[in-house]
Amino acid sequence: MTVFLTGLQYLGYILIFPGFLFCFFCGLLLTGIDRKLVARMQKRVGPPLLQPFYDFFKLCGKETIVPAAASRTTFLVAPLVGFAALVVVQLFIPICGFSAFTGMADIIVILYLLLIPALAAILGASASGSPYAGVGLSREMVTVIACELPLVLVLLAVAKAVGSALGTGLCFSVSEIARYQVENGSLITRPSMIPAALAFALIIPGETGSHPFDTAEAETEICEGMHAEYSGAPLAIFKLTHAVKLLTVTSLFVALFLGGIGTGIAAVDGVIVFALCVIVTALFVSFVHAVTARLKIEQVFKYYWTVVSGLALVSLVLAWYGL
Amino acid sequence: MFKKLIEESTAKSPWLFHINSGSCNGCDIELVAVLTPRYDVERLGFKLAGSPRQADIVVVTGPVTRQSLDRVLSAISQVPEPRCIVTMGSCPQSGNVFKGSYSVCAPLSKYVHVDVDIAGCAPKPEAIIDGLVKATEILKEKRGQM
Ligand code: SF4
Repeated sequence: MTVFLTGLQYLGYILIFPGFLFCFFCGLLLTGIDRKLVARMQKRVGPPLLQPFYDFFKLCGKETIVPAAASRTTFLVAPLVGFAALVVVQLFIPICGFSAFTGMADIIVILYLLLIPALAAILGASASGSPYAGVGLSREMVTVIACELPLVLVLLAVAKAVGSALGTGLCFSVSEIARYQVENGSLITRPSMIPAALAFALIIPGETGSHPFDTAEAETEICEGMHAEYSGAPLAIFKLTHAVKLLTVTSLFVALFLGGIGTGIAAVDGVIVFALCVIVTALFVSFVHAVTARLKIEQVFKYYWTVVSGLALVSLVLAWYGL
Repeated sequence: MFKKLIEESTAKSPWLFHINSGSCNGCDIELVAVLTPRYDVERLGFKLAGSPRQADIVVVTGPVTRQSLDRVLSAISQVPEPRCIVTMGSCPQSGNVFKGSYSVCAPLSKYVHVDVDIAGCAPKPEAIIDGLVKATEILKEKRGQM
């Protein structure tokens, strides 16, 4: 009986909150807010808030074309794999004190799972057999590598800061970090963590492929790059993955640096965390999108490996000295 | 209910793919002007798609030169159903000032079914928006029949 109930509970986690349904609604809503904000910043009226939902359902109703040169199974399964991986990441990210799945070293799990959507997109693109997708996927690979180094450094800095405060060396558990913040206040208030938070904030547009780091999906030069051959439902899933990734990365930011802001009631905390995600998106995604133009791929790489990695490194050194 | 939802969404999220078939660039600039803050068709859900596979509405400008005819037709055939074809400017409808030239194949309606014609040389932005909104209605109807 208890086994059955726990099974049901986990199924609820996976399908409803904070799994599939939560990701679907909040991710698309967050993207809608982002698009609206960008439009307002550019003095436009902008699309309705629910525009990403319309886009998603419209794409579901379109014909799906599989190119003759594509390898059919990989082409169609790749988007699903990427989306599933993101939902799993969302299960590991704590919402204030509550997290559906916990583990000893879930930071490392998150780090690897966050890579999978990009890899799935690359896989799908290479299976589509289009030269535009080829250019797009090579750029996406460079972007992924560019973001990975600073991301690892940021996570190390956080792990060291919390680990030395708890006396365990390095703390690789997000739920542990979240609990620490509930007891001792947000990490962003510690001086050593400010550069790391800034570095992570600068990684967000790169991870989500938003302006000015959307070189891989440059619709004006390489026909949407990796998604050039996608249409219909698979494209809808890619767009959904894109939206959920924005939610995942911003909520990871909130969990790592703005944790501990909440009431202890799961439902209320969910709303608070979503509000914080919106603020982070507005500052570091929408604003950056509205004021910048697309960078070249080598500029993206250089920027991430010098400026952003430098910030993260400063934080890591400060954390090592226990500041 | 799901069918209704998809139908409604189809009318609210039409993505454009723009083909220039030898236009003088007048119409192309006007189409882009419709996307600027002053007219902002994104408020109606319109978006320029980069690839024909992702488009719902194909906007053709220019008098369909002999060189571009095959390319225009192959690009149109790559757009998934339901799709809508809109000609913009007088060129693709009649040939306009280029009519009678050995290298011009206009009108486009000789080769494919055209859903909406937006007349003018170049059409006013208001006329373009009106034409595009009519196209979304046709799109919704086509989706309903699928
Ligand atoms: S209709 Fe007029 S403005 Fe448009 S492409 Fe033809 S000549 Fe140029």
